[in-house]
Amino acid sequence: MHSFWQIFKKEMVRVLTDRRLVLMVFIVPGLSIYILYSLMGMMIANQLEGVQEHRIVLYEANMPDAFRSRLLARDEANDRQRLNLDIRALEDIDEDTMTAQLLSGDIDVVMIFDPLFMDAINDADNHAIPEVFIHYNYGRQQSSFGYNQVTQVLMAFREDILIDRLESPEQYLVFMTQTAPVVDERQLTGQGIAVLMPMLIIIFLFAGAMSIGPDAIAGEKERGTIATLLVTPIKRSEIAIGKVTSLAALALISALSSFIGILLSLPRLMQLEEGNTNLGIYGVSEYGAILLVLASTVLFITGLVAVVSAYAKTVKEASMLIMPFYFITLLVGLVSSFGQDPIQMPIVHIIPLYGPVNLLSGIFIFEWSMINLLIVIVSSLLYTALFIWALARMFNSEKVMFQR
Amino acid sequence: MDTLRVENIRKTFNLSRKQRKIEATDEKRKIAVDAVSFEAVPGEIFGLLGPNGAGKTTALRCIATLIRPDEGDVFVGPDSVLKTPNLVRKNIAFLTNELKLEDHFTPNYLFSYFSRLHKVPEATMLKRREALFSRFGIDKFQEVKVADLSTGMKQKISIAISLVHDPHYIIFDEPTNGLDVLTAKTVTDYLIELKEAGKVVILSTHILSVVEKLCDRVAIIIDGRLTALDTLQNVRSLAEDHDLETVFFDMVRESEALRHA
Repeated sequence: MHSFWQIFKKEMVRVLTDRRLVLMVFIVPGLSIYILYSLMGMMIANQLEGVQEHRIVLYEANMPDAFRSRLLARDEANDRQRLNLDIRALEDIDEDTMTAQLLSGDIDVVMIFDPLFMDAINDADNHAIPEVFIHYNYGRQQSSFGYNQVTQVLMAFREDILIDRLESPEQYLVFMTQTAPVVDERQLTGQGIAVLMPMLIIIFLFAGAMSIGPDAIAGEKERGTIATLLVTPIKRSEIAIGKVTSLAALALISALSSFIGILLSLPRLMQLEEGNTNLGIYGVSEYGAILLVLASTVLFITGLVAVVSAYAKTVKEASMLIMPFYFITLLVGLVSSFGQDPIQMPIVHIIPLYGPVNLLSGIFIFEWSMINLLIVIVSSLLYTALFIWALARMFNSEKVMFQR
Repeated sequence: MDTLRVENIRKTFNLSRKQRKIEATDEKRKIAVDAVSFEAVPGEIFGLLGPNGAGKTTALRCIATLIRPDEGDVFVGPDSVLKTPNLVRKNIAFLTNELKLEDHFTPNYLFSYFSRLHKVPEATMLKRREALFSRFGIDKFQEVKVADLSTGMKQKISIAISLVHDPHYIIFDEPTNGLDVLTAKTVTDYLIELKEAGKVVILSTHILSVVEKLCDRVAIIIDGRLTALDTLQNVRSLAEDHDLETVFFDMVRESEALRHA
């Protein structure tokens, strides 16, 4: 096993002492994720703020004072209830112009009340039910937002009128409800994390392995350096083990860089308070389990990447051949993110990639078992052993190593 | 038993459509080496002479365990390349332009790395490194990345690294190719030193002057077959003018005539 360690060390030195590789494999992934996600977060925040601070241009006809005063009260409020309103009279504007201005965004909402609206309210027995026509443009966020806000005020106005008509407010209420919710805060937070994290973990691990695997194996074939190694008396299985384990370690570091990027940008992306990413809810057992899943899964992934790279004649071909497996990984990640609760059935955990992702989802919501963890570790190690065996055979095959 | 015996080896390759077109043949398989046998003994330089594409490198790759002969076997001392390739690898130095060094590393790093793969003790490694590096003038460049070195220097480093384990069997394929006269001389002088140290040295080349200067015995290989195998003097005497060049060209012409017959 002495030689495996030499290969491992050489691979590590190869990457860690190459400034270009260090930048590409360890710095760029984290930095680009940080910049991308932070920008996305900032843009979402700006967009929300922009809509909320927008002055809603409301044109009205026959608006009763009672309702107007409610709207104005919201306009003057100081808290989050505040509605920034600009109420104008709809006088000389015909319907076509009004529609055009709604479409162009000059007008957000138009409210046309029946001319005898309050009369009909106050003397309901002798009048037909009055109507309010509301026009808005649901293709514009500001208009939709304005519509929602004024409609809320209108509904509250209708409710109050109804309560006034009844002898007592209890009649309107019909029955009372009381809710007594219970929640495990950790599970609630965990569920949010479980949506995103398992998918990101598997994708980052694969991306990390993909960024170095082809060069470490297909690249050595292409450059003729693997042949120099193959005339030494080192066992082919040791070369395979050295390559897979070193690639796994490097892929883990690369994935870690991406995670740091995520953790730093998460508060901005999720509009959380700075530094509040809630990962403190997990204990030693969860982190231990996550680490074991990561370690065994990264071995599986690098084993797969290594075998594909050894089969390819060039780095370019290797990168191309790995793509379908990357898409499968993306798919597995997506299924786990948008699928149902993690499956607890042990047999599911022997499925490569899916098993670990499913288990990670479980760990993040505190629903996992030691047996499933063991199944994931053992099955991943078995698959890795299979890859290493195949890789060793490939190193021994002149057809795979030397045919161009 | 410390000779290197090649016993009736045959090696064929599949030809791709493109290769068939280039070689203007309908044959799907090419016989690269056909029934080649020879024995190289300690204290001699055995030359394998042949034109480009004659099968020299293929024969050497079979000896170096990079590829397996379809038929026949090679015995490096008592060890068979088919049955115990790892034992063979322990005792040979193999140099060919197909074997490259990683550009990113320095000669020092690579020497230590390959020494460790050959399980050479640290103290021996240091002594050997100093001797080989100063012999080939690598010492001034030992901390320079291979990528930044000249072709000649790279070749000398490749030679030094192929010898990290002080092997008994030296198999060098075109070791002076692409080298300037000075560097080439350093290499050929060193081959003579290895011979004098009692090593088995096999040298493949298409440069007749190298053979004349270095080799004790010669095998001429044309179209994968041995057409001559004898001492340099006896091979020379095959031509009236006792010139190796005449012998070589006559054989190439003969083989071409046979091919087109």
